[in-house]
Amino acid sequence: MEIAESRSPESLPEVRVGMFSFAHMHAASYVHFLTQMEGVTLAGIYDDDYDRGGRIAAQFNVPYFRRSEGLLDQELDGAIICSENALHAPLVIQAAGRVRGILCEKPIATTASDGQAMIDRCRESGTKLQIAFPMRFSPPVMELKSQVESGVLGEIYSIKTTNHGSMPGRWFVDAKLAGGGAVIDHTVHVVDLIRWIWGTEVVEVYAEVGRELLHPGLGIDDVGLLSFQLANGIFGTLDTSWSRPPSYPTWGDVKIDVLGENGLICIDAFEQNLHVSSDEAGKTSDVNWGSNGDEGLVADFVAMIREGREPSVDGEDGLRALEVALAAYESAERAEPVKL
Amino acid sequence: MKRVGIVGAGGISRTHADRWSRMPGIDLAGFYDIVEDAALGAVQRSGGKVFSSLNELFDAVDYVDVCTPGTAHIGPVVAALEAGLPTVCEKPLANSVADCEQIVDAAERTGTPLFVAQVVRFFPQFAKAKQVLDSGAIGAPGVIRTVRSGSYPDAGSAWRKGLAITSYYADFAKSGGVLLDLSIHDIDYQRWCFGEIERVFARGMMFAGKEPKDHALLTMRFANGAVGHIEGSWAYPRGRSSTRIEIAGTGGIIEWDSRARQPVDIAIAQDDGSLASSSSSPTAPQHDPYYAELAHFVSCVEAEEPFLVTPYDGLMAVKVSRAAIESLETGRAVTIS
Repeated sequence: MEIAESRSPESLPEVRVGMFSFAHMHAASYVHFLTQMEGVTLAGIYDDDYDRGGRIAAQFNVPYFRRSEGLLDQELDGAIICSENALHAPLVIQAAGRVRGILCEKPIATTASDGQAMIDRCRESGTKLQIAFPMRFSPPVMELKSQVESGVLGEIYSIKTTNHGSMPGRWFVDAKLAGGGAVIDHTVHVVDLIRWIWGTEVVEVYAEVGRELLHPGLGIDDVGLLSFQLANGIFGTLDTSWSRPPSYPTWGDVKIDVLGENGLICIDAFEQNLHVSSDEAGKTSDVNWGSNGDEGLVADFVAMIREGREPSVDGEDGLRALEVALAAYESAERAEPVKL
Repeated sequence: MKRVGIVGAGGISRTHADRWSRMPGIDLAGFYDIVEDAALGAVQRSGGKVFSSLNELFDAVDYVDVCTPGTAHIGPVVAALEAGLPTVCEKPLANSVADCEQIVDAAERTGTPLFVAQVVRFFPQFAKAKQVLDSGAIGAPGVIRTVRSGSYPDAGSAWRKGLAITSYYADFAKSGGVLLDLSIHDIDYQRWCFGEIERVFARGMMFAGKEPKDHALLTMRFANGAVGHIEGSWAYPRGRSSTRIEIAGTGGIIEWDSRARQPVDIAIAQDDGSLASSSSSPTAPQHDPYYAELAHFVSCVEAEEPFLVTPYDGLMAVKVSRAAIESLETGRAVTIS
């Protein structure tokens, strides 16, 4: 069932958005929420995969473009970029100056220099660059932020976090296109949440990275344990592993346990589930009914364009999170903590 | 900007007023209540003005939201429909089948949109379970069980204690006890999931002289051969309420339990050495089920689309509730006519 969106009294100025690649599966969710919003037009789809792009364009009855240039010619207000990680940089740099706002899938890029070039180019051209960190719009995460800000925990000592996942396969396991495996894929979400909730930075990271520990022959890291120190004195860990097998009830998790002098707050952002056992699937699956952070993310992006305001999550946020992932790889190489 | 007037200033009125107040494009014009002080209190909390009569309210609004007790729905609902004002009617549509039939007739006669606020269809976990069922993931319908159990609704919060509605619930001849006031949610939900209900058999405490406590267990047979079970209670110990869904089919099962682990869990040591612990399951404001049902009403009226809950659905839920009460009285299964 679709729940009706609230309507605004006056019709809103139209925002035209182009989708650049469906290589990352989050694109499907973004476009779903985009097309439900009042005053938003999906202007077209670019994808270097002809079959995928054509199929999705037909599904939404919008033009398909085999070249990104063609879609950029459609008088777009916004561009949403969900290509392979390594292709974020060329697409963002190409779109900068041609649209008012860009929503770029995480991680911002595969190298810090690409990330910096994207930020610089957007700044020079006046295009707002927002990075897709939908977990900031997850109600349990928002509740954690408000609890932390209330000071109820007193002094905070430590944060234990996980962002487990299932091994995604495809280009996500191709170092050239993804920039790495589980560590680059799953470090950035939680690092971004920590930076946002506490307004702090990771100053040191130590990591144990496992290659093919869970998926023999994978050719890339599928396990990551990060141990970090924050500038504000809090220490913590993050497990980024693709450790959820196909027989597991769900794809993964985002869990944050915060320990302070007065107590403990634990959140599990995806713990609003129906348990669905299906003979056809041969297992019991968690079917989430909670509010999807992607909905808030896409609404925030459109509002940024409409109001001409700065992004709530900007390129610098994306770059800082990426730097932690890159430092984790460096630490694992050297078996030493790495300072940021 | 559309103006909404609320008739009745009791418990659910407060919930609806809060949602109307934060809905874009809606102006909460005010309240009418036969107890003027109640309307005044509602205005002080939620804004708008006190209307001194139904007609004064009708003249000032685009939409009417009837939040009176079920025994007092028919008057304002039929009048609002005759005035051509799209109307929300709190569940149950009315407390008697005869009243429901008159309301359904009025809706058909006037062609004015009437939305019955069977809010459970808008709870995200209930809506998702229906969606999973409809997807075929668990095969054909077999057994559906739902639970809606808590303590008597008198002191959930202090403000409620002084309200007339509090004693109203305890007067089972008026409120219909849990079967009509509470389990009607589950009757409507199960009927939405599995289709028409053929017969119902109930056991319960409605006539056991334990007011305000009440507790009922229903078994139902659907026209498609599937069966349903409902527990509804105002007899659970305070603080131990429970809501559950279990839908079993030929190829699987869907389960949800309000008492399972929550996404937010807080444990804070107090100065006296005790532990204050709480848990919650937050959702985005637009997914609040009361907000969602009222936004659905507005969006359907504006788009001239049918509501997810029709007046007929409201009538059938009351028919089944009344049949369950008849079953309690007679000790026999009652066929739904």
